[in-house]
Formats: sequence, C-alpha cells, structure tokens
Amino acid sequence: MAANDRGATDIAIVGFAQSQSVRDAAPSEVQLLVPVVADAITAAGIERSDIGFTCAGSCDYLTGGPFAFVSNLEAAGAWPPISESHVEADGAWAMYEAWMRLQEGDIDVALAFGSGKSSPSNPAEVWAQQLDPYYLAPLGVDPVSLAGIQAQALIDAGKATERDFATVVADSRRNAKSNPNAQLSGDYDVDALLAEPYYRRPLRKHDVPPISDAAVAVIMARGDKARELCERPAWIRGMDHRIEAHQPGLRDITSSASTTLAARKAGYDGGPLDVVELSSTFSPQEIILKNAIGLGAGVNVNPSGGPLAANPIMAVGLIRIVEAASRIIDGTANRALAHATSGPLLQQNLVCLLEGE
Amino acid sequence: MSDQTQTEKENLVMEHLVSLTYRERLTPNLNRFVDELLEGRLVGHKCPSCGRVYLPSKGYCPMCVVATSAEDEVEVPDTGTVTGFTIVTPVAYYGQQETEPFVFASVLLDGADTPLNGQDVTGLPHDQLRTGLRVKAKWKPKDQRSAEGISNRGWGSMGTVVDSFEATGEPDASEELFKDHIF
Amino acid sequence: MNERCAIVGVGQTHFKKRRDDVSIAGLLREAIDRALADAELTLRDIDAVVIGKAPDAFEGIVMPEIFLADAVGATNKPLLRVHTAGSVGGSTLVVGAHHVITGIHGTVLTVAWEKQSEGNAQWGLAGGRSGGIGAGGAFAPWMRAYIQQSGAPDYIGWMVAVKDRRNAAKNPYAHLKMPDITLEKVKESPMLWDPIRFHESCPSSDGACAAIVTNEEGAKRAPRPPAWIHGLSVRSELGQFPGRNPVRPQAGVECAHDVYRQAGITDPRSQIDMAELYVPFSWYEPMWLEGHDIAGPGEGWKMVDTGETDLGGAFPVNPSGGVLSTNAIGASGMVRFAEAAQQVRGLAGEHQVDGVRTALAQAYGGAAQYFAMGVLRNTPPE
Repeated sequence: MAANDRGATDIAIVGFAQSQSVRDAAPSEVQLLVPVVADAITAAGIERSDIGFTCAGSCDYLTGGPFAFVSNLEAAGAWPPISESHVEADGAWAMYEAWMRLQEGDIDVALAFGSGKSSPSNPAEVWAQQLDPYYLAPLGVDPVSLAGIQAQALIDAGKATERDFATVVADSRRNAKSNPNAQLSGDYDVDALLAEPYYRRPLRKHDVPPISDAAVAVIMARGDKARELCERPAWIRGMDHRIEAHQPGLRDITSSASTTLAARKAGYDGGPLDVVELSSTFSPQEIILKNAIGLGAGVNVNPSGGPLAANPIMAVGLIRIVEAASRIIDGTANRALAHATSGPLLQQNLVCLLEGE
Repeated sequence: MSDQTQTEKENLVMEHLVSLTYRERLTPNLNRFVDELLEGRLVGHKCPSCGRVYLPSKGYCPMCVVATSAEDEVEVPDTGTVTGFTIVTPVAYYGQQETEPFVFASVLLDGADTPLNGQDVTGLPHDQLRTGLRVKAKWKPKDQRSAEGISNRGWGSMGTVVDSFEATGEPDASEELFKDHIF
Repeated sequence: MNERCAIVGVGQTHFKKRRDDVSIAGLLREAIDRALADAELTLRDIDAVVIGKAPDAFEGIVMPEIFLADAVGATNKPLLRVHTAGSVGGSTLVVGAHHVITGIHGTVLTVAWEKQSEGNAQWGLAGGRSGGIGAGGAFAPWMRAYIQQSGAPDYIGWMVAVKDRRNAAKNPYAHLKMPDITLEKVKESPMLWDPIRFHESCPSSDGACAAIVTNEEGAKRAPRPPAWIHGLSVRSELGQFPGRNPVRPQAGVECAHDVYRQAGITDPRSQIDMAELYVPFSWYEPMWLEGHDIAGPGEGWKMVDTGETDLGGAFPVNPSGGVLSTNAIGASGMVRFAEAAQQVRGLAGEHQVDGVRTALAQAYGGAAQYFAMGVLRNTPPE
C-alpha cells in the first residue's frame, strides 16, 4: 500500500528555517541549530511546548566524535523531557520518521531537523569510510572518484555530454543568485566552464559540490492544526525512500532505480510540477535523477541552486524539501517534488511530493 | 576465549587502520574562555533569560534554548565544592596513558550553576574524598599553561592550565547549598 | 485508525567477546535468519527494514547500514537507521512498530547490532583521548548517590550480579555464563569505578538481535504466538543541567507512565509479570525499579534483597541475564524487547517465567537521558 493512500494527505509543512551555508562556520553545530530551530518555531507560530515529537538527523563522523548527536538535543529544548528520536542520516529521513509519527493521530505538531559541519574534515576521506569495509574501502576509492566513474559511464551510454554537465552547473550558479543561503552563485558561461581543467575526468572542479556547514529545521502539523497555523500549508501528498545494492558494480549507475521507485511510491504520477529540488550532489546526477523521476524538459529544477551551490551534508536533503515547501507556502508553486540521497552514487533515495490546496 | 564455531584453521584477520584528521577552530565562546583561563580567570556566560551561569559556556542556554554572547560574560572565583566523584581504575586502550587509579570529580565553582566534570582533587587521600568538600584551583605557573587539552568536543579538561582542585580545609559545604547543581 | 501491532519473529546471535567467525553482514544475517525462521517468513515478506546501532566509531564505518543494505535484504525497500545511544535497540523496535501502527507498511524487520571486537569501543567512548573513564565512570557517581539516598546495603549490587549471571547460564545466547558465581566472588572482584566492581559491570560483546513486527493480519498468519504491543514510548532529556536528578531521570519517569497509560496499567508491580530492564551496572536494577515507579522511593533495593526480582520471584527482572551478562551495545536495547516478547509468547526456554501475560521492556542511553519502553502482552489490545 502506498503511503499516500491514507491519512498522509493530512500532514503539512507549516514552518521552516535554515542557516546560511558557509565554507567554515565558527560556531558549533549545536550553535548553528539553536537559532534555526527557534526560527522555525516562530515561523510556524507555535510554542515549543506544542511540539509532540522531534526527530533529528546528523552524522557523528562529520563532527569526528562518537555521540556527537547527543549535543544536538540541546537545540531541541529537551527540558522538560520530550518525545524524541534521532536518525544517523540526512534530516530528510528525520522528517520521514516525524511525518510517520504524526500519522498515529495522537499528536498534532512535529519538529524535524538536520545539521552538519563538513568543514573540520576532508569529506572525500570521511565518506570513503562509508564504503564496504571488506571489499571497497581498502581500495582507497573516494566518493569524488566514484562520481567520475559515474559521469564517464553516463557519457559512454550516450545519455549526457560534458556540455550537459557544464549547463547544469551554470544553471545552478545562476539560480543561486536569488538564494541568500547559497554559497556559490553567479553568471558562468558554459564554454568557459568547459575550458577549465579536469579534476576527476570527465568531472571538473565545478561539477563537484562545495564543502558546507549549515542547519535546517521544519515544523509539520496535522489537519486543522496545519490550516490554523499556516495560510497556505505545503501538504505532504506522499513520502517514500528506497535503497538499492551497495556495490556500484551491481547497479546501472547511469540510472537510479530506487529514485524511480520512491517517486512512484510517494505518489508521483508524472503530472506537471512547478518546482523540483534534487539532491544532485555532482552535476551528472541531476541528469540521472531527472530521467529516473521522468521529468520532461522545461521543469524548474533546483531554483535554489541545489547541492552544487551549497552542500551541507546531513542538512542538504531536508533543505531541498524546505526549498520546495517554501515556494508552495509563498504561493509561487502549487505542486512540487523534493529529493534526498544517501550512500555512494545515489544508492538510497527519498522523494517527497508536496502540494498547495 | 574458546569459540565453538572456530575451526582448527585460524580465521584470517584483516587489519584496516584508518586515520582521519579533523581541524577546527575553537568556537568563539570557547576561544574567549581559553583567553581568560590562560590569564587565570574563569569566565562563563549568564543566560539573559533565566540567569543561570554556565562555565565554560557553549554559546547558548540549553534550558531556555537561547543564544548567549560576549555580552553575557561573567567571572566566577576559582573556589568551589565537590558535588560528585568516582575513583577510576583506568582501562587500557589505544592512546590511554593513565595506568593508576585517578579521581574523576565534579566541582561546582562558587557562583556557577553547572559543575566542571572530570576534575582531579588533591590535598587528601582518595578514601577521604567526599561530596561537600571545599576546594580551590591549583593553577600551573603562567609560563607552563597551554590550551592544548581544550577542544570543542567537551571531552577536554582544564588539566593543561589547572593542575587540580586542592582541598582548602574549610568546613564542608551543606548539601542544601549545592543539591540542585550536582550534575 | 491505527493498526494493532505484534512481534511475530525474534532472533538473536550467540553473543561473544569476538565473533570473528562471521563478518558484520554475517552477524546480522544470523539474527535475521533466526527471526525469519521463527515467523516462518522470508525476506520477500518484509516491506521495510529499520537498523539500529550505537556510534559508528565503534567499528570505524560511516553509516554501516549503507553497505549492509544487500545483506539485510533491504534492496528496493525503505531502510532507516536509528541512533539514540544505548537505548537505540529499543528505539529501533519502536520506530519499526510505528511503520506498522500507521499502516504505512505491513511487516517490518528491525535489527540492532554491535561488533565491538572490530573496533575499539573504549577508544570510541574516550573520543580517542587518554583518560577515558568508560561508561562505568560516568554512571558511578549516580550509583553512589542512589546508595546514599536509599541507604541500600552494599551487597545489593552483588546480589544483582549473581542473579543475572546465573540467569544467563540458562540462556543459550548469553555471553557471560557463570552458574557458580557467588556473592563472595563478586565482592572480591577488582573495583573498577567505585562502587562498581568487575563482576558488577557488563562485558563488551559482539552480536545482533532481530525482531519482526507486523499488523493484525500478519499476526493471524504467524505460526507461533505473537507478542502484542500494548504500549510504546520514547523520551529524551538534557544530559546535564542545574536541578537534574540523574538518579531518577524525569524522562524515564514520563516514558514509563506513558507506556503504563497506553497499556491501562495503574499498578505496575502487580499488573506486570516480568521486566527486561537495561542494567549495564548492577545498581541500575534497583534504580530503574524506582525510576519507573515499579517500586516506591528507597524500595527498589528491597525487591532485590527479598528475591522478588529472581527468576522465581514475584517480579522477575532480566531472566535472560540482562545487559550485565551480554552487551553488544547497539543490540542490547532490542534484546530487552525480544526477551520480553519471548516471555509473553512462552518461548523463553529454560529462563521462561511461569504464566507471563504482561511484560515490560526498557532501554536507556546517553547520560541516562534517552529512554525507549514497551509493554507486551500475549493477548491483542482491545
């Protein structure tokens, strides 16, 4: 049974906040979260005590300390005690758990947040340790090199060209000009980008996301409570996530079967979308994801600039959902799709379908 | 340890040692704390909302969930009370340098609302250590102080600046005075 | 309308100091395959997988469920990773059950694990630094405070250790089995963190635990009696703040009252037949008996003293041998739920308590600040 067949349609995003993504934030991860959570609560027009369930998403290895996530609880306002959980994943999965918890019907409001500072470490080193410790990690392969292999496979399959990659980057940077939270923005000429040297052939440095620190929080509410709190709530029509085989050699890395499946299970039927926000960490992945979801030409993809403009790992997926929701809440869009990813080369994917009335 | 599932042939073990380097600046609030600490002053933040004093400050009050800043700085004296302790028999592990039982005490500085955990207490035998004991910081000479042991992770102590907290010999503090500030 | 939810399959690995006969994936499959066999299901019957474990630094793999996806049969399915410190095994089962209760999925595999021998948990706990105090050092001051406040005699801690280790001797999956342990042996064991002696402290284990949760239809199809979920709750609080009572954390009190309310329990001591409580250090048994209002203030240690918490007592606690005998950290919370389930199903084997109809499962973590609790029964909710 697809998640959108029952009660799910009754839950909406009614408030959110995010910090500006920066290359190296001086405050701690909790310090980034404290104002973001407070601002999301204010934006939703609720009191902290209205929150019936809280779920956080983060990764200990980004901070470099076991139990790092415990400190983040301090941003949630955990006194008096709260009903709370934590996922070792992007905030988008924290939102999934909170959305699920809301469906039980005994609470009306839930908070989810995601946070991460990639700046203290070298993400290419850290994320290499996410690979199979017996068969992949000992090879010393890093995520950027894997992305290079994926990009080459995409070209070899005739599904994209280096010019397509550069176009994705130019679009991202141009769109990011209107996003105050983005890190990289500006007007770039595709030919000029193609003249840049290779970084991991066929990828150039600009095909790879920046290193970013940021936090994001979202408030969801159920039914009448959502209508009461927000003039135009961003209704969650469906949300689903799927994982596939870990070893990239076992997958067709030029497509994303788990994204296709998650989009279908989330209720996406191929109809028109006003906004799409994709966690396309590397530029070729935007092409893969668009194909996987079945998006035609002319769809407004990553108006925020996407991960190529700011990539705060563990927040970046939930930021996609917030960027999509914000455009519904402000009335500029009525139907939106947001996507989050995890694991090497799009191994795990989450899709959230949002609508206005 | 015998293992029933073990066959006669030893299982092959693959060593996979990983080294990851993390570099980070001290947070602005901790940086200020260290600057003052090296000068022999203990400076924390007083929450503008509830008035609780945190030392060192994390840059926010976790009770009120509001940010605190340099405007909220307050200095507290280097005297305090032992509010809890244990004697730890060190466990050997990679990087462990402790070999003898050591004191792990919580010291509530006069005027602070949360104790400093993991402090050494000296000036009396281990078996006379008790809650309520009055102590005073035993500072390292100025030229021997360093910020080396202090990090954003919360696992650091002030051991590279303050050798220990030494029993003052004053009468013990009444538990009434610190019962809400033990942990 | 929420779905009724039950545990219909339980599987544990044999817990040992080193399970170097299996990889991490092999360890998880050992537990999963036993749970599937118990439920007479295959991986094809599983709609979603929820995995829990304690910090990634314990094995040195970033988000290890990502590489384990194939081994746990999660491909093309949702896979969610929970991490709530020591309570994570309990939280994982709770999150798995929410998938079923909401009707999002029909049958969910939950699995929690730790393979501590593949890394260095002491190093991990110390944040890679010298002077690490271990979990015992962190909890010791609170146990001292409990002893001081309750006036409990020092042999209470030894009694808990003897009871749990002897119970573990009846549990084929337990790590430390010491049928011949005595109060004297506990008392003479080295002091680790005053007041905790070596034999009053949990071991470091490799192992995994799996539990299959399903809806009413799934429970009807189950070949063996289901363990019906009557209450589930999680609570978290700050680990340190002025005025905190870490001996009786408020989050633990509220979590307990929440599950009692859901299950219609007004007098836990008489209405609950047995409990699996997270007791990594002996003194935590009386502390949780009081901290969850099973016993009144200062009365928890008397339940230990009078033998009420023994396997044959009126309120048996940890007939499995508990965390004191087996502690693969991430798995330990789920083992509490799994053992409680086996008790209400009547499938606990040699450590079965007679006539269990209602069982309590509890896990805690962090600075005694994360709680996950559940009430299980042999009959479905009204």
